[in-house]
Amino acid sequence: MGNYNSNKLHKIQLQHRALSKVVYTPRSRLKHPVKLFQEMCRDLLGSQELAWRLLVRDISAKYRQSFLGVIWAFLPPIVTAAGFTLAKNGGVINIGDTSLPYPAYVMFSMTLWQTFVEALNGPVQAVTAAKSMLARIKFPREALILAKLGEVFFNFGIKLILIIGLFIWFQMPVNWSIFLAPVALIHLVILGTFLGLMLAPLGALYQDFSMGLTLITGFWLFLTPVVYPVPRDGVFGAIVKLNPVTPLLMTTRELATTGVISNPQGFWVASSLAIVGLLLAWIFYRLAIPYVVERISS
Amino acid sequence: MMMRIDEQETFAQSPNNDSEAVLSVNGVSKKFCRNLKRSLLYGVQDIAAEVLGLREESDKLRSQEFWALKDVSFQLRPGEALGLVGKNGSGKSTLLRIIAGLINPDTGSVEVRGRVAPLIALGAGFNPILTGRENIYANMSILGLSKKEIDDRFDAVVDFAEIGEAIDAPVRSYSSGMAARLGFASAIFTEPDILLIDEVLAVGDAKFRTKCYQKLSKLRSLGTSFVLVTHSAPAIISICENSLYLSKGRLLANGDSNTIIKKYEQELFSTNNSNNSNAFVRSNSSNTSKAYIKAITWRNSANQILSSPSVGENVSLEIEITSLEEFHQLSLNIMIRDLRSDSTVLHFISDRDGMKFDIPSGKSFIRLETPKFRLSAGFYVAKLTLNGPNFYVVDMIDDYRFSVLSGREVDLLESLFFQERKWEIIRSPSPDSKKTEKL
Repeated sequence: MGNYNSNKLHKIQLQHRALSKVVYTPRSRLKHPVKLFQEMCRDLLGSQELAWRLLVRDISAKYRQSFLGVIWAFLPPIVTAAGFTLAKNGGVINIGDTSLPYPAYVMFSMTLWQTFVEALNGPVQAVTAAKSMLARIKFPREALILAKLGEVFFNFGIKLILIIGLFIWFQMPVNWSIFLAPVALIHLVILGTFLGLMLAPLGALYQDFSMGLTLITGFWLFLTPVVYPVPRDGVFGAIVKLNPVTPLLMTTRELATTGVISNPQGFWVASSLAIVGLLLAWIFYRLAIPYVVERISS
Repeated sequence: MMMRIDEQETFAQSPNNDSEAVLSVNGVSKKFCRNLKRSLLYGVQDIAAEVLGLREESDKLRSQEFWALKDVSFQLRPGEALGLVGKNGSGKSTLLRIIAGLINPDTGSVEVRGRVAPLIALGAGFNPILTGRENIYANMSILGLSKKEIDDRFDAVVDFAEIGEAIDAPVRSYSSGMAARLGFASAIFTEPDILLIDEVLAVGDAKFRTKCYQKLSKLRSLGTSFVLVTHSAPAIISICENSLYLSKGRLLANGDSNTIIKKYEQELFSTNNSNNSNAFVRSNSSNTSKAYIKAITWRNSANQILSSPSVGENVSLEIEITSLEEFHQLSLNIMIRDLRSDSTVLHFISDRDGMKFDIPSGKSFIRLETPKFRLSAGFYVAKLTLNGPNFYVVDMIDDYRFSVLSGREVDLLESLFFQERKWEIIRSPSPDSKKTEKL
């Protein structure tokens, strides 16, 4: 037994802890926007430590149950790149010239795409996995999302090793603009989180959402210039340009390599969409969770 | 004059008390829907209303909804322990979840001062792959503690949970009792202002339970308030001065625990036996088996039907069986539980008594004679099981409720069961010349 003295500590706590007052009512919390905003800030700040705990818990549990461990982060881009390079060299598919050596192009883009997909799936997975916890304990709900974001960046950090390897192997040019690449990457993650947060509460109610999400991301990949360079024209080219992931992913890639941003305007439009969207999605998520908890029960 | 002073005093005191309440629940209602598809749909509707800022108090039920809670109001003062009794589905857990802020009420409001810790959620967030140590940190963070606070409490938690060396082994390798103890210890050492306890005191063995109760009473002396939900009447009576009685979401009574428990037990009994007789007759529609228990009756030594057995009387229990075909080697189990203490008081197994029954097709009776009936006056629930060979259950009656009357024999007060007795005084020197005083 440590030198922990329950009585003393508890008394100190009772004295120092200003008894915070909380009122629960049926009225929509949107009717008190200032209060809502204050609570959002408070919970975001207050959830950092818990988010860290959850992150450590999830990551250690994940790798403790896996034999190959971090190798799983490398495998998908490598396998995809190998497949497409073989197909391209064999002349099965006709893909235009890329600014980078083709295998490097696919591997790098695939890593970015994967990071986006992880950010997109993160909130839905986090809420679904934490259902029983959500139904029984009131804790800052932001922690779940922050923990997932941490995991996304952790996974990206591992993939970074692959990317550095790529740069060395293919002797790719490095520009000073590489230091700006993380900004674009963060915007890409924000876009994923925004969409994921909108889906998370409904995804906890209806399984359709998580099933649909898998289907849609599979299709979405082909509307994003990951395995092919940006198409210049045609209906397909227009669709790819309208896809908000395109400018964010492209800009990240361009900043990290050539340093020439081909579509700065598109980048800023997509970024603003992602940032404003994330704020709205956060409010939506906060407001919706109690109703989700009500329906999923313990 | 006296009246007036009293009135003035209460008038002067009550607003003061109101402001001190750590928890005040005002006219809270909550509606639920049992149909899952509809329930999910309503969930989406509610989310839409909330997000559009339209949501207000709503008194109207939508189709297939019912009130899980209706107009419940009460207050909890610092250091007060409040019991919550009611049958399953009476809204106790819903009330706790509203207080914990997990779900929003549909009408009314809840005001909470200070930190609420739900002991509803033992080991929530435990990951079986991780070690006990890692799980304590994760679980206590979820309950709202900082790393420093957990560091301070860590040893005490491990010590309290009696985990010892196993703290660095994965929780997966723990016995269910160990995991439950760890969950309880992590939760209780968060030391909240209000503790919500939902049926969790049944954790671990008797020794650990005693420790839990001691810890709870210590917390209480330090000013923590409790809301306790349990089916165990003695627990409520020993911990809580006041209790609430919920039935179908409504607050039926609010007051001193002894009175409330008595009322609860009476209603528990009377609702199941509306004609106040202990006869049981199975309705024809409710059985599917080839042989089933049709009726249960109590009879006295003169073979007259009794409405209730009395303490010390020679009674027998007669079980009528209707069978569509012949059955061989059936055994009858009768397990009797005391409704008050929620513990098994008698368990008859005919098989173990060397009795197996061959049941002919049609109607037959099994009779169990219980001379000088020993159960003390009170309310009981019996579970009857008609077993075939190899654990095959032919028929089962889960809750046959009956009362035992105090009868002609004088019942013993504060005794577990009735003991037939005879007092005498023996005058020395000769034991032959004795004077008997029969009670």
